Amino acid sequence: MNVDLFPLVLYSVIVIVLIVALTAVSHLLGQKRKDHATDEVYESGMLSVGSAQLKISVPFYLTAILFIIFDLEAVFLFAWAISIRETGWLGYAEVFIFIAILIAGLVYLWRAGALEWRSQRQRDDRLHTIGKSGVVNIDKKTGKAHKTEQPKQGGAH
Amino acid sequence: MFSFEVGSLLNIAFVLGAGLVVSIMMIWVERRFLGFFSDRLGPNRVGPFGLFQVIADAVKMLTKEDWIPPFSDKFTFVVAPMILPIVMLLSLAVIPFGPGVGVMDLNIGLLWIFAMAGLASYSTMLGGLASNNKFALLGSLRGAGQMISYEVFMGISILGIVILSDSFSLREIVEAQRDGWFVIPQFFGFIVFMVAGMAESHRWPFDLPEGEAEIISGYNTEYSGMKFGLFMIGEYIGMVVMSALIPVLFFGGWLAPFGLEFGNEIFSGLFWMGAKTTFFLLFFVLVRAALVRPRYDQLMSYGWLVMLPLSLVNLLITGAVVLYQAG
Amino acid sequence: MSILFYASALVAVLSTIMVITRVNVVHALLYFIVSLLAVAVIFYTLGAPMAAALEVIVYAGAIMVMFLFVMMMLNLGQRTIDQERVWLSPNIWIGPSILAAILLVELLLGLITTDATIAHTMVEAKEIGIALFGPYVLAVELASMLLLAGLVGAFHLARK
Repeated sequence: MNVDLFPLVLYSVIVIVLIVALTAVSHLLGQKRKDHATDEVYESGMLSVGSAQLKISVPFYLTAILFIIFDLEAVFLFAWAISIRETGWLGYAEVFIFIAILIAGLVYLWRAGALEWRSQRQRDDRLHTIGKSGVVNIDKKTGKAHKTEQPKQGGAH
Repeated sequence: MFSFEVGSLLNIAFVLGAGLVVSIMMIWVERRFLGFFSDRLGPNRVGPFGLFQVIADAVKMLTKEDWIPPFSDKFTFVVAPMILPIVMLLSLAVIPFGPGVGVMDLNIGLLWIFAMAGLASYSTMLGGLASNNKFALLGSLRGAGQMISYEVFMGISILGIVILSDSFSLREIVEAQRDGWFVIPQFFGFIVFMVAGMAESHRWPFDLPEGEAEIISGYNTEYSGMKFGLFMIGEYIGMVVMSALIPVLFFGGWLAPFGLEFGNEIFSGLFWMGAKTTFFLLFFVLVRAALVRPRYDQLMSYGWLVMLPLSLVNLLITGAVVLYQAG
Repeated sequence: MSILFYASALVAVLSTIMVITRVNVVHALLYFIVSLLAVAVIFYTLGAPMAAALEVIVYAGAIMVMFLFVMMMLNLGQRTIDQERVWLSPNIWIGPSILAAILLVELLLGLITTDATIAHTMVEAKEIGIALFGPYVLAVELASMLLLAGLVGAFHLARK
């Protein structure tokens, strides 16, 4: 092994010991209070209803999947970037194809609505407010206001 | 052993001490400069210019009630805040602060930084998960989503520099900038990396995980005393790491601009590195004072649809230019 | 350097034992992350720095984050913990453990009779890059198609 890792190991040990010691000192020095609301969940003064189990929306899960896929892609790009001069134009073409395939995937997901974080109701509201010709909602030729779409019955409101 | 060589005890003490002191002083710097930028004075009562405010805050943190909620997952609750400062201090180890000043020169120094940034997202997630509190869980989910989205192109934006300097080692990257700082050819990489760095260390305008006034305090709602202090210190250390990393990667590290070196080489290097780090620290405080916080879906769209393609295009163009110049 | 190898090997084995004996999933995940970090240190001492860094970035930094993400979304409660305790009773794990112990004895016998030392050649990141985009480039392109398939598949499965 031609690289001495000892300074790094020593530094890591010191850092870990320091942080653990800080936590322990605070635990010893802190006050101990037992009021009648001490042991309750904090919700700005309101009593908490129901357990902490949320129904998670789909975009979070898709973000996690997207993250893994693109992180793995980044790994291949790390390996390429360090050896670019040795692999030359052939390697560049290969990486170009690699990135193109994954960008195609990203574009597909974008157009298919996977990256849409608004709920269906927010999207309806937005369409209703903005209308067909953009935020200002004025017809470019005549200068008069567009008739906005009526909301679907029992839909947006 | 006691000289300024890479890996000596003096170096370890210096890096650790300087890192911790600067991070703790950021508490005061931030509040004071936020005040200046908002046309008011910050804390200026406690000690000269309010400098002892930091000591007051530290004593307060240490002696506050250290309460572990009985409805929480105790083991994870205690471990989560310790992860962030440990991981951020470890990233400080590979940064070259001067010619011969630095704890270690790993030949994969840049990858070490990314590894530590990836581990830092655990702190956010575990904090909220362990608290068993609806708001904490929501804050930590959003925080985790934001951090992982912005972590992807943090790595890719730096690859342009890896291509130019042909190494992952941070010290060699600094040496490769003797003929010109990398910010000029890699301007877009610089922008993307700075945005990613701000998101990774939860700086405003990316502090949705803390969400002040939206979801109480996000993932650190149930935390008190030093554990909360560890979250805060971890954030400030992260900010210091970013402010030290940006000069190293883009602005020549400890090399002086236009050859304006003076005196001892080590002293000159430390001075310039300190000056650049201070500039970026103040810049981060300015960004916090100036920009508004975007909505969560705007944040995520911006990350995936703007920053990621930009960093990939930057990489491809850099690669093409380098290969063309190499013949 | 060999003391670092043995120390991290010990940490890896101990934390893996903790992983399989915990009843709380989050604790098990945390110990698993520790064992991954120990394995990364082992890779580094054996002369594969790039593999060590990538292990932490990809495995401990991406895949385990996703595990934790899924854990947060499913948010299993106390009932799962009690169920795990039931499943950890001896008559369930004694069978597989005996079979695995036989394999372990075979492995140890094989290791003792060889004459291996800790490697001294470093496989630099550059060599990995040259190998990946030289002779093994088809593997890289196939990997990108596999990732694309995973992406699209996950999206359509999530929509259901």
